[in-house]
Amino acid sequence: MKYLFALHQNSRKKVMILLLLSMIFILLYMTIGVRFDHPQLLAYAMRQRSTKVIVMIIVAFAIGAASLVFQSIINNTIVTPCLLGMNSLYSLVHTAVAFFLGTGSVFLRNSNVAFLVDLLIMGVAATFIYSYIFKKTKFNVLYVLLIGTVLTSFFSSIQNTLVRSMDPNEYDTLLTTLVASFSNINEKIILFAVVFMIGVMFALRKELAVLDVITLGKAQAINLGIDYDHTIRKLLLGVVILISIATALVGPISFLGLIVANLSRQLFWTYRHQELILGSTLIGVLVLIAGQLIVEQVYSYAIPISVFITVGGGLYFLYLLLTQGRRK
Amino acid sequence: MLEINIADLLRGDSSQWEIFFISRLPRLLAILCTGIGMSVAGLIMQQLCMNKFVSPTTGATISSAQFGILLALVFMPVSTIWSRAIFSVVCAVLGTWVFVWFIQRIPFKDPVMVPLVGIMFGNVIGGITSYIAYKYEMTQAISSWLTGSFSTIIRGRYEIVWLTLPLVVFAFLFANHFNIVGLGKDFSKNLGVNYNVTLFLGLTITAMITASVVVVVGSISYIGLIVPNLIAMFKGDKIRGTLIDTALFGALFVLVCDMIGRIVITPYELPIELIAGVVGSLIFIAMLIYRLNYGRRAIRIKSKRKSMEGSVA
Amino acid sequence: MRVKKLTKSYDGKNVVNGVDFEIPKGKVLSLIGPNGAGKSTVMGMISRLIASDTGVVEFQGKNIQQWKSRELSKRLAILTQSNNIQMKLTVRELVNFGRFPYSGSHLTEEDEVIVEKAIAYMELTQMQNQFIDELSGGQRQRAYIAMVIAQDTEYVLLDEPTNNLDIYHSTKMMQIVRRLCDELGKTVILVLHEINYAAFYSDYICAFVNGKIAKFGTVEEVMTKENLSQIYNVDFEIMKIEGKPLSIYY
Repeated sequence: MKYLFALHQNSRKKVMILLLLSMIFILLYMTIGVRFDHPQLLAYAMRQRSTKVIVMIIVAFAIGAASLVFQSIINNTIVTPCLLGMNSLYSLVHTAVAFFLGTGSVFLRNSNVAFLVDLLIMGVAATFIYSYIFKKTKFNVLYVLLIGTVLTSFFSSIQNTLVRSMDPNEYDTLLTTLVASFSNINEKIILFAVVFMIGVMFALRKELAVLDVITLGKAQAINLGIDYDHTIRKLLLGVVILISIATALVGPISFLGLIVANLSRQLFWTYRHQELILGSTLIGVLVLIAGQLIVEQVYSYAIPISVFITVGGGLYFLYLLLTQGRRK
Repeated sequence: MLEINIADLLRGDSSQWEIFFISRLPRLLAILCTGIGMSVAGLIMQQLCMNKFVSPTTGATISSAQFGILLALVFMPVSTIWSRAIFSVVCAVLGTWVFVWFIQRIPFKDPVMVPLVGIMFGNVIGGITSYIAYKYEMTQAISSWLTGSFSTIIRGRYEIVWLTLPLVVFAFLFANHFNIVGLGKDFSKNLGVNYNVTLFLGLTITAMITASVVVVVGSISYIGLIVPNLIAMFKGDKIRGTLIDTALFGALFVLVCDMIGRIVITPYELPIELIAGVVGSLIFIAMLIYRLNYGRRAIRIKSKRKSMEGSVA
Repeated sequence: MRVKKLTKSYDGKNVVNGVDFEIPKGKVLSLIGPNGAGKSTVMGMISRLIASDTGVVEFQGKNIQQWKSRELSKRLAILTQSNNIQMKLTVRELVNFGRFPYSGSHLTEEDEVIVEKAIAYMELTQMQNQFIDELSGGQRQRAYIAMVIAQDTEYVLLDEPTNNLDIYHSTKMMQIVRRLCDELGKTVILVLHEINYAAFYSDYICAFVNGKIAKFGTVEEVMTKENLSQIYNVDFEIMKIEGKPLSIYY
């Protein structure tokens, strides 16, 4: 609450409205189709759905914050870190674990261990790969993005190769874990993810505080006394870790970051990241719950949520491009 | 894959010759047509869009072609390869036109934005494709067109890919026109070349080549992207001068990738798309980093001729 | 502030080659020269935006690369040519950033006063709540200068401040530069293309050719027919207007 009052006056109202809307959506999601006359079923449904809601909030925050930070660093609002190829890196890591250890191993059957293994390998691999690329391209972010999209097909080609030399039964087991899903995530993992995320935010508190200045561009930031390269490096690392957390938690979701970051920018119309990140988290919750409602109630799980987000996000991206071009 | 050996062939063993004509020769021809077609398609697209990063993969052509195939499968369950080809060509042409129309509306500060937009475009079309595929439970069926492979090529089912050859010849005849169009609208008007007609013609050729490859083999990324770029690094940007080199090198590249795919996990084979994906993306990344650090400087082999062409590049 | 034997090369090409001069305090110094002579690169090295290959820039007796960036930003401000912000930022918010080296993101009352003054000095009070990307080129440039004023530094470096401005706004900009020096006592160093602006509004001129200093001295010393012909490789005539040497080239 105290935090809320520290916000700019214009933004406070908008945040309140978003907060209210999120509450309504969450309430709706929690209660639709629940049998209130059957206490046991009710308790079960509540438990199931509240976990999902919490996961969605975590994912919305992680992806929203990561995307906003990324966009501000590279001074370009129409790109998203999901273009870096981390989704297919996740698929590759996950497949590789199954391939080399077998789906029957403890690393995949115990979801806690699987989460940790995915997060660890992915975090290390992503940090290593992307810091190498950033260095090689001398922090030219557009080139990094292009290389990222190329890496997407590189990773998925290797993943596909592994899949093809796998036992078909093992593949079926694997496939279900490769599609983004908010179901079946247990409390321990959630707790771990939250703690880890808070740790990352704490470690980056100094860098996050100067994000507003970074927005002015490299020359201006240096002029105002910021150790630019160091700050950027730490922030990018944070972006990679946040996305790793979200992806290891629910699987690959492309374009969510693009949607929430830009909606938040359009809504709040500001450069202040505090408000933008808060806004993008709330918008992320709205988008995810709406998507999940459609998936569960309309299509009864026949179509994964990522399909909707990909199409919606992609169209939104093209719309942004067109309107941005026209303004100039 | 059935075994054949050269000694038996020379001896005139009829069953061996039959295998040769039914499976081996078609496969070889398909490989050559694919390599030539995809790399020339990439070259033309890059020239027309004035951007070295555009190709059927990064220009939504391949994903549109796949979308067309899915439409054919959904609306005409008993479709022949020809009807799928027609659907695919129409969609590929439309998709490419829309993409180019789109990027011409937007002033890009950096050439790298164009392929990024193309990839996003492709993602949207791919997303719609997978939505329809999920809805009609066609994910299994469409997956064979998502991953290009030569393993199913046999006589009677691949001849559409021959279409690429007349199209490539056609492209060769119009090469200078494409070059001029690539230099801009005003430039082409000045030289009396009809900009819109030539642009549409070029894009249509590209889309048709791509679609005929996708229908038969499936999607193959990167060939259209890296082969023309590699050739341009050595020989400059004039289409007429590089079209034949690009075509030959493209064919060679696909052939080598196919052989790698057959060796890695013998007796099974890996689809060409995977090999091209791994090899192609590595080469492309190396190329990007080279370009970033050394600019568009050509790698000089014959320094005398290059100094003359330097002013053109 | 002293520049000692700076060199810088890109891709094996020497862009700056053994540049050595001292920056006169409390004066306006213009760096001029043909395209690719290395003036902007020198400016970049003076402002720590670019690291030199060899040689040092000595600022108040200490190598500029060894200064704490935050401390330096209270003494030296740089404004580059490329300032495209994609974010929604008002004039006031931009100028607020000038106080960042002192107070971070939370401005004190004293900071607010300084910002207020800087905005008034640049005659931007009326439009202080407009967004930067909605301003004209000249107004935007003034907003940036206001930020630099709020930054309250002894040294102000401007890289082609008249770039993309029309004659009216360019002249206004140069008058502002003069006032920064005369009224606020700042040392101003700027890169300029238009030599007559350099001649009319600065105290010293440093002319570069091929990465080396061709001439360094007061305006009168540098602005001669022979020097300029040599530097730019075209014919020059010099005439006096208001006691200042202005050039005509043809």
